[in-house]
Amino acid sequence: MLGLALRTLRSRLSGFVGAFVALLCAAAMVTACGILLDTGLRGTVPPQRYAGTPIIVAGDQEVHWTTSKDKGDGEVKEKTKSKPLTERAWIPADLAAKVAAVPGVAAVRTEVTFPATVIGAPGDGESWGHGFESAPLTPYALATGAEPKTGEVVLDAHSGAKTGDTVRVLTADGVGEYKVSGITATALDGQSSVFFSTDEAARLARAGQLTAIGVVPAPGTDTGALADAVRAALTGTPGKVYTGDDRGRLEFVDADAARVKLISMGGAIGGSALLVAILVVVGTFALSMQQRHREIALLRAIGATPRQMRSLIGREALLVGATAAPLGALAGIGLGVWLGSRFRDLGVLPEALDLVISPFPPIVAALATLLAAFVAARVSARGVIRVRPTEALSESGSAAPRVGVARILAGLLAVAGGVVLLIVLSGLRTEPAAGPVTFLTAIVWVVALSLLGPLLARAVAFLLTPVLSVLLRAGGYLAAKTARAQARRMASVITPLGLLVGMTATILFVPTTMGDAAADDLRAGTLASYTVAGHVPSSTAEAIRAVPGVTAATESLTTTVRVGQDKYRAQGLSAQNLTLTVDPGVVDGSFSLDGDHAAISSLAADQRGLSVGDKFTVTMGDGVHVELTVSAIYSRHLGFGDLLLPYPVVAAHVDTPLASTVLVSGTADAAALRAAAGPGLAVLNGAETADARDAAASANAEVQLIAMGLIIAFAAIAAVNTLAMATADRARELALLRLIGTTRRQVLLMLRTETAVAVVLAAIVGTGIALATLTAFASGMTGAARPGFELGTYAVIVGGAAALAWIATVLPGRVALRRQ
Amino acid sequence: MSTTVAAPPAVRLESVTKTYGKGANAVRALRSVSVDIPRGSFTAVMGPSGSGKSTFLHCAAGLDHPTSGSVRLGDTELAGMSETALTKLRRTRVGFVFQSFNLVPALTVTENVTLPFRLAGQKADKEWTAEVLRRVGLEQRAGHRPSELSGGQQQRVAVARALVTRPEVVFGDEPTGALDTVTAKEILNLLRATVDAMGQTVVMVTHDPVAASYADTVLFLADGDIVEAMSSPTADKVAERMTHLGAWS
Repeated sequence: MLGLALRTLRSRLSGFVGAFVALLCAAAMVTACGILLDTGLRGTVPPQRYAGTPIIVAGDQEVHWTTSKDKGDGEVKEKTKSKPLTERAWIPADLAAKVAAVPGVAAVRTEVTFPATVIGAPGDGESWGHGFESAPLTPYALATGAEPKTGEVVLDAHSGAKTGDTVRVLTADGVGEYKVSGITATALDGQSSVFFSTDEAARLARAGQLTAIGVVPAPGTDTGALADAVRAALTGTPGKVYTGDDRGRLEFVDADAARVKLISMGGAIGGSALLVAILVVVGTFALSMQQRHREIALLRAIGATPRQMRSLIGREALLVGATAAPLGALAGIGLGVWLGSRFRDLGVLPEALDLVISPFPPIVAALATLLAAFVAARVSARGVIRVRPTEALSESGSAAPRVGVARILAGLLAVAGGVVLLIVLSGLRTEPAAGPVTFLTAIVWVVALSLLGPLLARAVAFLLTPVLSVLLRAGGYLAAKTARAQARRMASVITPLGLLVGMTATILFVPTTMGDAAADDLRAGTLASYTVAGHVPSSTAEAIRAVPGVTAATESLTTTVRVGQDKYRAQGLSAQNLTLTVDPGVVDGSFSLDGDHAAISSLAADQRGLSVGDKFTVTMGDGVHVELTVSAIYSRHLGFGDLLLPYPVVAAHVDTPLASTVLVSGTADAAALRAAAGPGLAVLNGAETADARDAAASANAEVQLIAMGLIIAFAAIAAVNTLAMATADRARELALLRLIGTTRRQVLLMLRTETAVAVVLAAIVGTGIALATLTAFASGMTGAARPGFELGTYAVIVGGAAALAWIATVLPGRVALRRQ
Repeated sequence: MSTTVAAPPAVRLESVTKTYGKGANAVRALRSVSVDIPRGSFTAVMGPSGSGKSTFLHCAAGLDHPTSGSVRLGDTELAGMSETALTKLRRTRVGFVFQSFNLVPALTVTENVTLPFRLAGQKADKEWTAEVLRRVGLEQRAGHRPSELSGGQQQRVAVARALVTRPEVVFGDEPTGALDTVTAKEILNLLRATVDAMGQTVVMVTHDPVAASYADTVLFLADGDIVEAMSSPTADKVAERMTHLGAWS
């Protein structure tokens, strides 16, 4: 049987090209996603700043909670979950003495980290200030000059400054002038360091707190044993011991969040790719089965049992898979590296996190692809078993078989599944939940389309026959008749085209749906006439408030917090005259952020069961719990986030306690504001603010698009190769039409019309799928059933699908006609 | 048709009825057909389009299940056999020659001929295969692909494949229908020779009176029933009888 499978493959290469290409792409995509996933799971972040110190004591960078689940049999299962914090956790300064007292510790070096940027310095990375006593943690050594005294700083080798220069440094305290007392011999990649005197550093950082304590072991001390001893000494305190690569994870707090994102993104894209691959390969296999209908019937007639046919087809698929999968997996490594570099450019993959390239993703992808090929072959072989051997005897052996009951049932089941998913989706109000369900919903609807396609094609062709016959005469008549008789082939063409249109529209319009809704919220809720953007210290905000004509200047700072286990986007806003700049759409209570007052979105209030006047605990980004009181419940959460907190509360618990924007109301003009804000800050009017927001949103959408673009490309390849296969197979039919007096023009017109019918049908169905999915998504996420369809983009999608379809039918058609 | 030979006939149909469809749309393709095909005979089945001759062949050869009645191949009752059992029976005990598309394009002549063995998981009898290819006159072409052969040569390969398992019956469904008269004559002579020289039983459906004249007996079907069995047919006698069949008679 294997020999026969091999022979068939060799002589019918063209019939398997479609499946081969689809499997190759699937293997490549799964490998690439696997690399992202692997990086998320096992990627290491080598320490930079702490590289020179084997043991670091710092705060716990994770938030933990325990859930207990009663399994029903009396046994209660306890599970502890940990999630990374989004900001750096601080520890009390008195831990340093405790650590220093541990035997084997030669010295401790305390460190504080706070934002400090030399104005006008080169480099666009982050810039952090530290006390000079923590310089040896890296280690940093002075190349020239001396260690800083009060009013002095030491800059790193990349700063371009010289000893004796005077520099202006921006910190949360404002802009201060410092004399450069020395320059270090080295510098780090992607971050600049500014060293202050220990006293000055303590003043600029949080009082009485440290970001890390470096442990210098006494000579001859075993590091592992010492780490254990320190750990034991710290039991019951917030301090935690970090060694090896864990020091890197401590240093790059955002790397952990990025890891989680990579895992979920890699999983979602890889999974979608595999599902789409099965769908596409089932399609191409089914088409090649149809083309081999008579050969299969002949084999059945002369003694091949249904089982033998199934095994023959299964082996053919495995052979195709075995060729395509390793090649695709190899190509996938390149794709993964490319994807990694794109993600790095877009900031999804942090500089510090290295891409992990191991043999596992390609191996797993190759095996998964092989399995997908086998499953696809088994599914498409189902129809083959029904090929009656008597069909080999009749000349018209390839007449359209009836659509099986099982297929209709499966199709109806898929429709039911799609409807259920739509209902579920319309109830999902958070992005992590709605995102994957959105794509799954679209895929399930495409599955329904592929199953019920023949019925649909027949029905539509029936309706179209008179119309096309009149409009396009012979060519149109033939096209409509063929479409009706060859409903199955038509369906196999509509499915990938429908997939292409439906998936692309869904992928592209999810961000616009969200973006439109958020923009609406912001437009309605922003009362300020100007926005000052950049890192704004409080002193500058005060200066802006003092500009004549300014009635309110609200400092704003965003962060991510948790209430209980739920993660929310939160915004810190300064309380003074707040209602003149921001209107979050209060539905209950009175909007105030004075003292411990906080406002909460109606979504979060529902989720947490909170109402006005309730006290609730917020876990801030750095893991500190803060108790607040609900002053108001508001509706515009898409624009403003789910929690509005007092600005000082947020500023006290973030790494960069500087306002990212200041919203300004009043009659002051831009020039006056610009003068007050000083250099380095942008003053934007309403339209400019919206533009800046759009730019940020489109950068975010680009990440989605790059990831999902692979699936779009895949669907396009599938559509092209299915169409080309379907047309190339019709050489005989086209020859016959020419023989009985159909002109070349008429034949090509027929092909074009058939394609047009397929494209129109696919566009309608694909658009329907996308619209339904996006409407459900929008009503869940934004509360209004308004999908964000952009007509221009939509026209490009449909036009692109039509162009691909046209190329893929008319070119093979011309070739087939020329060959006679 | 009756026989005095003690051994059972090669094929025996008893009250075979075949109905397609249900209710008002039901078409009775065979109406209670009973016939014996003796061993070592060459039988042609004739009839106008829609007379049920293809259905007759399908039922007799185990390609299709009759709605009612009994079909025996030698001692074996085919009615009630599972699809897989029928398939295995077809592999070794029945040979087929179809009008066209008889061969798997991917395989050479020899591989096509020995395909039934391969499907049965048996080793092909090399000497016998060579002998069969010699008899159909294709010993020089054993390694060629179907696409490299003429239409007549392809039909010879089909005949060789039908003979190679030494089946009890070879069934032909318009085996010369797609050939020119000269080539058709070669194939008919080949079939005749297998009956005469090898004692093979051959049943052939045809609409060509000349083809039918090569047979020992011609069965005439009209509206799903056998209306006559003609012995020692000639092309003229067959053509004459054909014009008075069915609705036109």
